[in-house]
Amino acid sequence: MLDTDKAQNPRVVFALIIINKAGGLIYQRDFHEGLTKLSVNDYLILAGTFHGIHAITARLMPRPLAPPPPQKPTGIEVLESDAFRLQCFQTLTGTKFLLFTEPHQTNADVVLRRVYELYADYVMKNPFYQSEMPIRCEAFDRHLGSYVKSRQ
Amino acid sequence: MASTKAARIGEEVWKTRVDKVNAELVTLTYGTIVAQLCKDYDSDYVEVNKQLDKMGYNIGMRLIEDFLAKSNTGRCANFRETAEMISKVGFKIFLNITPTVTNWTSDNKQFSLIFEENPLVDFVELPDDGRAQDELWYSSILCGILRGALEMVQIQIEAHFISDVLRGNDSTEMRVSLIRYIDDEMPADDE
Amino acid sequence: MSSAPSLNLAAQAKSLTSASAAGTLQQASNQSGLRYPTNRKTIYDRNLNRSRNAELSRASFAYLFGEMVSYAQRRVTGIQDLEKRLNTQGHPIGLRLLDLLLYREPARSAQRPTRILPLLQFITTTLWRHLFARPADALERSQNNEDEYMISDNDPLVNQYISVPKEMSQLNCAAFVAGIVEGVCDGTGFPARVTAHGVGTEMWPGKTVFLIKFEPEVLERESFLQKP
Repeated sequence: MLDTDKAQNPRVVFALIIINKAGGLIYQRDFHEGLTKLSVNDYLILAGTFHGIHAITARLMPRPLAPPPPQKPTGIEVLESDAFRLQCFQTLTGTKFLLFTEPHQTNADVVLRRVYELYADYVMKNPFYQSEMPIRCEAFDRHLGSYVKSRQ
Repeated sequence: MASTKAARIGEEVWKTRVDKVNAELVTLTYGTIVAQLCKDYDSDYVEVNKQLDKMGYNIGMRLIEDFLAKSNTGRCANFRETAEMISKVGFKIFLNITPTVTNWTSDNKQFSLIFEENPLVDFVELPDDGRAQDELWYSSILCGILRGALEMVQIQIEAHFISDVLRGNDSTEMRVSLIRYIDDEMPADDE
Repeated sequence: MSSAPSLNLAAQAKSLTSASAAGTLQQASNQSGLRYPTNRKTIYDRNLNRSRNAELSRASFAYLFGEMVSYAQRRVTGIQDLEKRLNTQGHPIGLRLLDLLLYREPARSAQRPTRILPLLQFITTTLWRHLFARPADALERSQNNEDEYMISDNDPLVNQYISVPKEMSQLNCAAFVAGIVEGVCDGTGFPARVTAHGVGTEMWPGKTVFLIKFEPEVLERESFLQKP
């Protein structure tokens, strides 16, 4: 039962990328085979480019009528290809979480919410983490790994 | 309206999504931080207030992520709604209190938070040195936290205490003023 | 210490046991130069057990503790120094909790421990339960040194969200808890040095051993008390 369910509705999370407010790549991790590994430089370009496209697409929205407070329209949220689906979740503080999944995965937003909670716990509550810098937090890696693993 | 909605969110998050810890551990930990600052700054209470505010600012910049991740709320429509969210969701989920929002100015840019309860000051009496009750704002860290947290969601505010039961006042009141909404699109002009 | 804002627990516990709260307030007002609110919102009017079972968000503790660590880090030169400072910040908490927890014990057991084992049991059960909602995971006596005892915690609450950078791998921020334990030992008249050491395993990556090394006079007294 579970196996057929899994085969028809695979829940494969390929990778996660976190982009800081300035468009810099601060975290990249593969969870599952399926995507070709890129060079570090390519990941940096991917992060920066997505950041730029996100900002421009946000401007495509009509201007809000009442100025204060600024109602921020969201930019691009999903990119799809034959091989993967990319979902972006941008927090109100401007950090972006990009989740690469199998193309037919439907619950990426749920996964992203949980990843955000783990980030709030194991990155932002770690006194040795400096905001906007690359994330090197062993407890975050550990909890993120076991969470994603438990879902596939 | 915004107030009951915020209260509901705050209650629900506090009950179902917040990991807890013994309250006295938090109270005593804050106490030892303040005591250490007083020692390091040789009881220069004005400087201690500043340091506490600075620590709060650092905390606020981080705490906002937990607030957003747990409360799952969007941007507030106006500053009045922000005030309700601060009291009924923010203070509720981090300190299990809901200070009263009151004393609005007519332009809706300034309000007060009145603290009936403040777990940070349980067990606390200020030093009887003839100065502390006039100079130290023991809970200054809370002002910094609000400032840091709101700045991360593009709201610039100023906050300070205007009375404190630890100073012998009958109530503890914090004044919060909206300075401006920060627009990312524009280059920073005054920094 | 007298110039720092005191967590005036000791004074409070003493006065509450000896006089009624109202009487104490009167006394306090007369003796000190402090101003008090007219509506009795003072520590003397507050029941000492009110926050006994109260809870706050673990996040609030984590942020305060994180700032304590960052602040300490800016004022020290090395890891040992940093741990010493965290220990120093925990010490007064241990002293105060000792009074508070003994005051809350039922009358027959509300006594300061006078022997090593009852003291260590007080620490690993009463103190640990109060602070971390569970007892410590193990208590052992050192095989090699008879003045040393070890308390294990498989997953110290204070370190829950902390990842120590590789270049500081010797650091264990639970030195703060070691300071609390040291405060309890000192407060009971068992002067000791308490240090925190990471002994992570695959199952318990954050496992920590608190090493308690008692001063010689403690062992001397203990052996004297052991004589029939």
